[in-house]
Amino acid sequence: MSAQTFFIGFFGLAAVWFGIVVFRTFSMVRSALALLFSQTALGAMFLSMQAEFLGVLQIMMMATEMSIMAIFMVMFMMDPGGLGEMDMTHQKRLSLSAGIVSFVAAVAVAVFVDWGPVAHTAPDAAQQTVDLGLELLGRSMLIFETAGVTILTAMIAATAVAIQPATWRSKHEH
Amino acid sequence: MTTVLILLLLALGAYLVAVIETWTITGRFQLAAPLFAGIALLGRESIVPRKPDRIFFEVAPVLLLISAILAAAVVPLTPDLIITDLATGALFINAALVYVLVALLMAGWGPDGAYAMIGGWRFLGQLIAYAMLIVMPITAVVMRAESLLTTQIVVSQAGVWNIVYQPLGFVLFFIAAMALAFLPPFDLPTAKGELAGGVEAEYTGVRLAVFRLGRLALIITLAAATVIFYLGGWQGPWLPPWAWSAIKILVVTATMLLIGRFMPRIREADLLAWCWIFGIPLALLNIFLVGVLVLVLP
Amino acid sequence: MITGARQGTLSGLRRLVSIAMARDLSTFLIPGPDIARAHGLDFEAAGLHPVASPRHASVLLIVGAIPPALREAAAIIYAQMVRPRVLFALGTETLPPLPAADVVAGLSQQDLIQGIRQLRSAFAEGAFRPDVSDFDAPMLHVRIEYTCPMHPEVVQSEPGSCPKCGMDLLPREAQATAGHTHADHQEMDNSADRQATSTHDHGTHHTMVHDAPLEYTCPMHPEVVQREPGSCPKCGMNLEPREAQTEPTHDHHHMTHDAPVEYTCPMHPEVVQSEPGSCPKCGMTLEPHEMQDTQTQEHAGMDPHRDHSTMDPGDMAFMSMIDVTQDLPRSGDGLPMEWIEAPFGPFFPGLPGGLLLTLTLDGDTVAGSDARSLIGNGDLLLQHLSMDSGSFVERLANRDPLAPVAYRLLACRALENVAGMDIPADTACARIGALERERIASHLGWLALFGQQTGFDWLRRHAASLQLKFQQADLKQILALKPAIQALTKRLQRTPLLESRTAGIGQLAPDATLRGPVARATGISDDARSTDKTCAALGFTPVSREGGDALARLHVRLDEIAHSIALIKAAGAIELPAPAHVGELSGTGEAVVETPRGLARLQLTLEGGQVTATQLDTPSTHHLTLITPLIEQQELGDALVIVGSLDLSPWEIQP
Repeated sequence: MSAQTFFIGFFGLAAVWFGIVVFRTFSMVRSALALLFSQTALGAMFLSMQAEFLGVLQIMMMATEMSIMAIFMVMFMMDPGGLGEMDMTHQKRLSLSAGIVSFVAAVAVAVFVDWGPVAHTAPDAAQQTVDLGLELLGRSMLIFETAGVTILTAMIAATAVAIQPATWRSKHEH
Repeated sequence: MTTVLILLLLALGAYLVAVIETWTITGRFQLAAPLFAGIALLGRESIVPRKPDRIFFEVAPVLLLISAILAAAVVPLTPDLIITDLATGALFINAALVYVLVALLMAGWGPDGAYAMIGGWRFLGQLIAYAMLIVMPITAVVMRAESLLTTQIVVSQAGVWNIVYQPLGFVLFFIAAMALAFLPPFDLPTAKGELAGGVEAEYTGVRLAVFRLGRLALIITLAAATVIFYLGGWQGPWLPPWAWSAIKILVVTATMLLIGRFMPRIREADLLAWCWIFGIPLALLNIFLVGVLVLVLP
Repeated sequence: MITGARQGTLSGLRRLVSIAMARDLSTFLIPGPDIARAHGLDFEAAGLHPVASPRHASVLLIVGAIPPALREAAAIIYAQMVRPRVLFALGTETLPPLPAADVVAGLSQQDLIQGIRQLRSAFAEGAFRPDVSDFDAPMLHVRIEYTCPMHPEVVQSEPGSCPKCGMDLLPREAQATAGHTHADHQEMDNSADRQATSTHDHGTHHTMVHDAPLEYTCPMHPEVVQREPGSCPKCGMNLEPREAQTEPTHDHHHMTHDAPVEYTCPMHPEVVQSEPGSCPKCGMTLEPHEMQDTQTQEHAGMDPHRDHSTMDPGDMAFMSMIDVTQDLPRSGDGLPMEWIEAPFGPFFPGLPGGLLLTLTLDGDTVAGSDARSLIGNGDLLLQHLSMDSGSFVERLANRDPLAPVAYRLLACRALENVAGMDIPADTACARIGALERERIASHLGWLALFGQQTGFDWLRRHAASLQLKFQQADLKQILALKPAIQALTKRLQRTPLLESRTAGIGQLAPDATLRGPVARATGISDDARSTDKTCAALGFTPVSREGGDALARLHVRLDEIAHSIALIKAAGAIELPAPAHVGELSGTGEAVVETPRGLARLQLTLEGGQVTATQLDTPSTHHLTLITPLIEQQELGDALVIVGSLDLSPWEIQP
């Protein structure tokens, strides 16, 4: 039990630390990969909480997502060698207040929500996978399908926006 | 004890991959050549480029090796010879191998050299091509086994191996595994004649040795994964289980290494187009067919 | 004892390591495997293990005499190799600025094997030495010079202030030979104890001045603008090439730093201009505000030293990608990306040795290119030379190691043309035999290079070994090799991915300036051999294919190999052309030969038996100019296939 608490704390701190590094570094790629390792640490937290499937899934998905994000940021932001001496913070006042508000909200949710009775033993990993599958194809199916389609739409829209239409280009070329 | 044994076997496997690779290139079996090459690498200077992203540069080879070892941890060589039989084993292999991409991106980015950087980019494009073709065939395999446990997946093939049960999935997974291990004709990130070594071009000495060891471990791990997913793992008549595992893994490795010698490197645009236009629909068809088989067959 | 030893005493474990290194000779070849094979050397069979990057090599093998520009490039390659490293020269001892070779041997397979034996013992005994010296050459120095950020024309070797504006000068790296080398690709020798060495794109470097109207600027510090590529004096980033600005006001963010006020739309912060007016997007009147130094940067939050908390958030709007990227050069797909300039050559593994291809890459798409030969074989083109005819023939024949027979024949024919001699039919036939044998070997060499470039390992090895067999084969051997060629052709027709790799790549329309297989792949049946009466008598018909792409060129070469075998069979003999004795003859003459790469024409003037003026026209000189338009906007791999498919010989390119 104490080992579990230790690892949850350790990975939690690691996630927070990498989250801070995202803004403390001066390179887009480092920033993106710091975010990746922050998410990986979250996945490791899931693992320490015996949520095996969720943990492995988190670790797997984030690696792909963050790498792709890194490359897009690099392509758009001109940061060769990752040595661009770029500040990762902007709109400080707005982001500070947004950060504080979300933090307070998250703490409030954690403290004031009734989480139900504490489960002393988690079901074994195989059982969890079965339960998760039934949940995803049952009660939560609509939510996940909606989220999936929304993300797909957003990706297509983002790509479309990133490439300027030919008419815009020809107008702006001299 | 099992852990140490598996790690030793992994090292031996990586060595044999190097021997087989030399054989596919030169046509000669030189058992000692990789040993000399390895020692020679350790004896050379290992220099750091002038303007590196130092953390990435140092971490990349190690991360490549670690992700291969982690994936190997859930591969059973016999019913008992497995480091950890995770309840999410089949997914875990994939999760660990995704970090190959992260390692290559870091290796491409770290040295601040044009060839390496393009190599890193190319591998990212490659991931977009092969990633779905790793996950979707595994899904079909898992459907038949009704479990993510790798040992259970092997046991599920007791009657008919998956290569017969779902040949389409095998072909797709085999191709995707070669792309994941950046073996020719999918060696876009390291392309010798196009990028002069690409992501590994700036590595020297010890760091290069670790990078190459990581790549060899990755190849043997992927061959082992192919064996447990499609070739019935340790199962087979007459010989003991470990022998079957060893034979199958080495045959798959040799096949993977040989194929690329007989064709030019694929164009990245073709790889992406074919994977998405043909690969993904075929993988979905495979899932559907396996689903029907699972329901129809007792 | 080797000059490039690593520091340390040779004892214990190191002795073992040295022995291992002596067994594993990773070799970087200069000028390239094509030249090694042209000299009949099979270095892989001799036990050398070729590598693509000098970083991975422990042996630098120099094959044959190489011109000064290549030696300079080779010195940089040598500096990029990590210790312990040896220099192994075949058939040449003139190496400066490279250090003296550790092992020198003759240009034959026997000597190569002998040399490798010496090399191994040198390695085993001398890989480590307590006292090592740095390799030093002028082109390896990075000199610090000082320049004004506002006035790039102010450059001096001492720190100080700018005579124009009084600002402090900033240090930056410069070359000893200013403008002749690329700062990024500059190499310093990695001494045994120094860990961090300068590096960039190994295998390659840049030795020519760019005459393209480009200027270079730092993506992070737009005030840094200079004419030469290099790195930013402020952050060390590589400078980006961009087209030089003709109107200073046009590129507002980067250039007009003395403009105190700029105008921007309150709704569209990306609209920024130096003159008042209305917004092109919404028509609102633009508002003036004091221009901050490099305003876009602050919006993107790129300057770590600036105190951002003092800025008004309302002034910031959102970080806009359009804002950040609007002044960057743009490629065909409209997606602005990092542009990098990367040299491929002169010793790039997938290109003919001696060819320097400098690509400006937009992502992995070629945005611009510059191709040149570093051989500089111009000495024979002098108008005022005086050389006896015999040595002229030798000089011309040795000029291009990739086609010595064709050029020997060209020189002989030109001399005979001056003398008005007629060659006996059987000699003419035997000469055709030699020329066709060279064509077969040359095309096989091209196939091997293509195999190397595209990672088609079987083709590389198979074509290379066939080439070596053909090179010295007599009539009987050539006829015996015919089935092997047929098998190769059949194999290539069945090879997966080969068609997708080459079809539609590097499409050329039929054009009179094209020559040789490149022309015949566009459907033109233009061949100097058609007009040659000896060839006609032997039943020659030119090969031609429709298509004009890399695949058609591949097929034309394969067809030509088969045709050449038939021609050799018909000719019935193989004999190298020998120069005629022209005596004290004077006059002018002309000759053409269909070399493996296409038609070459030589005009020469004889005065009293001495060659006094020559004019040479070679196919590769024409084909070199095709590269830039052909590879524009192509993916890098395709671009290299295109350049490769032209089969250029850097040795015959006229400067």
